[in-house]
Amino acid sequence: MASINLINPLSAAPLTRIDAPLPKTGVGFAGAPGAAPTEGFSKLLDNAVGTVEGKQVNAQDMTRKVLMGDSDQLHQSVIAMQEASVAFSMMIEVRNKLVDSYQELMRMQV
Amino acid sequence: MNLIAGIDVSAGALNAQKTRLDIVAQNIANAQTTRTAQGGPYQRQVVSFETELIRRADGQSLQGVRVGGITADRTPGQQVYNPQHPDAGPDGLVTMPNVNLSFEMVDLITASRAYEANLSVVKNARQMAMKALDIGK
Amino acid sequence: MIDPMFQTNNYQLARKLLDVSVLRHEAIATNIANAETPGFRRMDIAPDFATQLKARVAAGDFAATSDTLQPRLAEDQTARAVRPDGNSVEIEHELVAMDRNAVEYDYLTDVVTYNLKQLKMAITGKSL
Repeated sequence: MASINLINPLSAAPLTRIDAPLPKTGVGFAGAPGAAPTEGFSKLLDNAVGTVEGKQVNAQDMTRKVLMGDSDQLHQSVIAMQEASVAFSMMIEVRNKLVDSYQELMRMQV
Repeated sequence: MNLIAGIDVSAGALNAQKTRLDIVAQNIANAQTTRTAQGGPYQRQVVSFETELIRRADGQSLQGVRVGGITADRTPGQQVYNPQHPDAGPDGLVTMPNVNLSFEMVDLITASRAYEANLSVVKNARQMAMKALDIGK
Repeated sequence: MIDPMFQTNNYQLARKLLDVSVLRHEAIATNIANAETPGFRRMDIAPDFATQLKARVAAGDFAATSDTLQPRLAEDQTARAVRPDGNSVEIEHELVAMDRNAVEYDYLTDVVTYNLKQLKMAITGKSL
């Protein structure tokens, strides 16, 4: 689905830019701990996108099989669709929270 | 405009079966009637069905059912020897109505089953329409 | 811009199959109504629809709006006469077929709903 690919660029660019200056300050505490959380966030979103994509492809496959009459596993197809839907919802929530926290950060007066 | 699929066909069939049930009830009630307003014993009534073509919106037509007519069954009734009966003839024979209770009961059961089957078709169709209204919600 | 959003393959397929499901229900209604009509042969969806649809899916063509592939009703050639007057309708068989059709219809509306919801979620960014 095209929409997922639109979300992908969001994860990579701004978060690594937040990440980049911190290790150079040399104050001592902003080094490794500073790098890990933001890397964690982008990894989180990447994982979410990957999971969602996988679940959606699985759901589409199962649904296609039932629609064409090759399978009678109706329940599996419905479960797969619901799982994909929940995973998609979760990814959207994660993205929304990330965007909110980014905006919160930007609002901080330094 | 038929929002419920096949409703015309099922409605026609329900009507037809209901009429048939009514006539069967009338036959059973009059199984012993030896004197009618026209004189003579009660004659069994028979419902005949006929096909009516119902057009769908896209041009295909469905074959529905409706009551073609209610006719009297002309087979003569049984003659029973009962000289004390008020309608007995000079030879003591009474002509009973040509209603055979076992036939009528079988007809009753068949008509009831057909009525229930058509009713469940209508219920199903209505459920499908309601489910369609919930698409996207 | 708006139309391509509704081109997802399973969604198109489900829409077409919903048409088939409704038509099949009408065929079953006709069969049950004519359970005692002398000489009546049971009707169902013409089998060439299924073969044509499979061919189209195999070729990757999913257009649901194409009017060239419409389901039609035809006499069921595989049904055998169960009454001496040639009537080939068995009420139990029809009732079972009707139940199965209802389940199929529910499933298809679920597939359509799922696809529409995905689109809505992606567009509004609100998880439903």
